[in-house]
Amino acid sequence: MTAPAALEATGLGRRYRRTWALRDCSVAVPSGRVAALVGPNGAGKTTLLHLAVGMLAPTTGEVRIFGRPVRESMERIAFLAQSKPLYAGFRVAEMLRFGRELNPRWDDAAARRRLAELGIPLERRVGGLSGGQRTQVALTVALAKRPDLLVLDEPLADLDPLARDDVMRGLMAAVAETGLTVLLSSHVVSELEGVCDWLVVVNGGRVQVSGDIDELVAGHRLLTGPAETADALAARLPVISRGGAGRQATLLVRDATPPLDPRWTARPVNLEETVLAYLRAPDQATLPRPSLASAR
Amino acid sequence: MLWLTWRQHRTQILVTGGLLLALGLLLLVSGLRATAYISEHAPSGCPGPAAACSGVNSTIYDDYYHPVFMVFGLLPLVGSALVGTFWGAPLLAAEFERGTNALAWTQSVSPRRWLLAKLGLLGGMVVVAALVLSAMISAWLPVFHGAVGDKTLEPGTFTITGVVPAAWWLFAFVLGAAAGTLFRRTLAAMAVTVALIALTIPVVFFSRDSYAEPVRTVTTGWTALYDRGGSLVRDAWVTPAGQEVVTLPDGVCPPPPGVDARSERAQLLKDGCLIGEGYRKAVYHHPPERFWRFQWTETGILLTGALALGGLAVTRTLRRRN
Repeated sequence: MTAPAALEATGLGRRYRRTWALRDCSVAVPSGRVAALVGPNGAGKTTLLHLAVGMLAPTTGEVRIFGRPVRESMERIAFLAQSKPLYAGFRVAEMLRFGRELNPRWDDAAARRRLAELGIPLERRVGGLSGGQRTQVALTVALAKRPDLLVLDEPLADLDPLARDDVMRGLMAAVAETGLTVLLSSHVVSELEGVCDWLVVVNGGRVQVSGDIDELVAGHRLLTGPAETADALAARLPVISRGGAGRQATLLVRDATPPLDPRWTARPVNLEETVLAYLRAPDQATLPRPSLASAR
Repeated sequence: MLWLTWRQHRTQILVTGGLLLALGLLLLVSGLRATAYISEHAPSGCPGPAAACSGVNSTIYDDYYHPVFMVFGLLPLVGSALVGTFWGAPLLAAEFERGTNALAWTQSVSPRRWLLAKLGLLGGMVVVAALVLSAMISAWLPVFHGAVGDKTLEPGTFTITGVVPAAWWLFAFVLGAAAGTLFRRTLAAMAVTVALIALTIPVVFFSRDSYAEPVRTVTTGWTALYDRGGSLVRDAWVTPAGQEVVTLPDGVCPPPPGVDARSERAQLLKDGCLIGEGYRKAVYHHPPERFWRFQWTETGILLTGALALGGLAVTRTLRRRN
C-alpha cells in the first residue's frame, strides 16, 4: 500500500452553463511535493483549485484529499485565493483571532512569531497594509491553520519582485519546517524553477502534463538539423513542437536518447521551453503512468 | 462563530441598540408628560368617551399622542426596510463582493455551520429587538386609552404591537440575506430588499381582513361598535323587512329642504330618519378579541415566507455555483 496522494482528481469536470471550464481531468499531486499548476489565462487553473478546496462542486468526477472527500478534509486544507481576501476593517490581530475561532488546529504562537519576523504590527488595520504585507498576512493565516495541503491561486501576481521573493522564501521555509504539500498556480513559468518539483499543465480546460519536473525536463530534447530530413525523424519520435527557419529545423521531442543521424544535434531543454512547447501544441499530452500518479 | 458574528456586525448591533434606547426614551418622556398633563388639566371622569371630555381628549391626541405616533406609524415600513438593508443584505452580498467568501468558507468550520450560526444569531437579535420595541409601545399605549380610544386592530397599531413586528423584522432580515445570494453586490441587494419589502407590506396589509370570516352584527348603535377598536370590513343597510340592500330605495328619507345633501348634517339627519323608519345597519367587522388570532396568523404567513427565503439563501450558498 502506498500513501494516498495529497490531491487526486478523477474524471473531474466543471461546467458553467454551457461551457466546460474543466473537462475530464485526472491528476494527482503526491504528498510532500511543491506542485506548480501552469497554464494560459482562462485555462481552468482557478476552477481546478476551487474544486480542490470545495469552493465549487464538481459537475463530473471527484477530488480526494489524502484519500478523503474534500468536504471532510477542510481541517487539512488551507486556501489562499487570488485576491488574497482578508477583512479590510479587521486589525491584523483580529485576523488571527478569526483563524483561531474557526480552526481547531490553529497555531497562534507560530502566527505571531511569523508576523513579528516580518515586522507587521498586530495593531495595524488590514486595509492599511501594503500589497506584499497583505499577502504575508493572508499566508500567515493559511499556514497557522497547520494544513497538510496548502493551495495558492496566483500567490505572486501583483507583487513587486522583492515582495515575490519574500513570499516565496516564507513559503519555502514553511515547507521545509512542516513538510506540507503545496499546490500553487501561476502563468509565469520562470517564477517556478528551483521552487517547485512537480508540474501540472492545464490548457483549454484539460490536463496536458502532470509529473515530476526533473524527470520531465530530462525526458525531453531539442533537436536541430537539416529541414529535409525532419519529416523522417518526426515519424519515428514523439514530437511536441516544430520550429526553425529555412533549411534548419528544430524539433522538441519527448525522447532522451541521442539522435542516430549525425547531421542532427541534441541539446537539453529547460522547464520554460518544455512548458511552452506543450502549450503551443494542445493536442500533445504527457500524463503519468498510473504508478507515478499515486507513488512517492 | 459568536465572536466573528459580533465583530463583523457590531455596527448594526450597536446602532440598532442605540435607536431602541432613543425610541424607548421618547416613549417614556411622552408617557410621563401625558400622564402629568392628564392629572393636572383633565376634569374628573376625563379623558374618556363622555361629551365633556372632548376638549381635553383632542388636546391629548394632538399634543401628546399624534406627534409620537407619527414616528411609530412609519416603523412597519422603515423598520423592516432598515433591518432588511443593514442586517440582511450585507450578510452574504458583502462577502461575495469582496471575495472574502473564499476565506470564510475554506476554514475548518463548514460553510453550512457558518451560515446557520450567522442566520441564527443575527435573526435572534433582530427578533429580540423587535419584541423589545413592541413591548415598549404596548406599555406606552394604555396612557392614551381614555383620550384616543381602543385601536387594537387598527392597521397602524396592530403592526407595531404583539409579535407581528418580530415576524416582519425577521422576514426582512432573511429577505435581505436571500437577495445577497442572488445579486452578490451589497448595494444591489439593498435596493432589491427595499423594493420587495415595499411590495410585500401593502399585499399583507390588504389581506388582513381575510384572515377570518368577519362577524355580521345588525345594529342601530354602530358608532359604539366602531369605537371598540375592532376592524371594520364593510357595512350595508338592512330594510325593515330584514333584507340587506346595497342602495336604498328611492324616496326613503330625502334630505330636508334647505340642507345641502352632501353635508355631514344631512348624513346624520338621514341616518336618524332611516332608524326611525325601521332601518338598521349590518356591520361586517372583526372584533378586537381577534387581536391574537390575527397576530399569529400574520406571524405564520411571514415566518413561512422567511423560511422559504432562508432555504433559498442556504441552498444557493451551499451549492457553490460561484
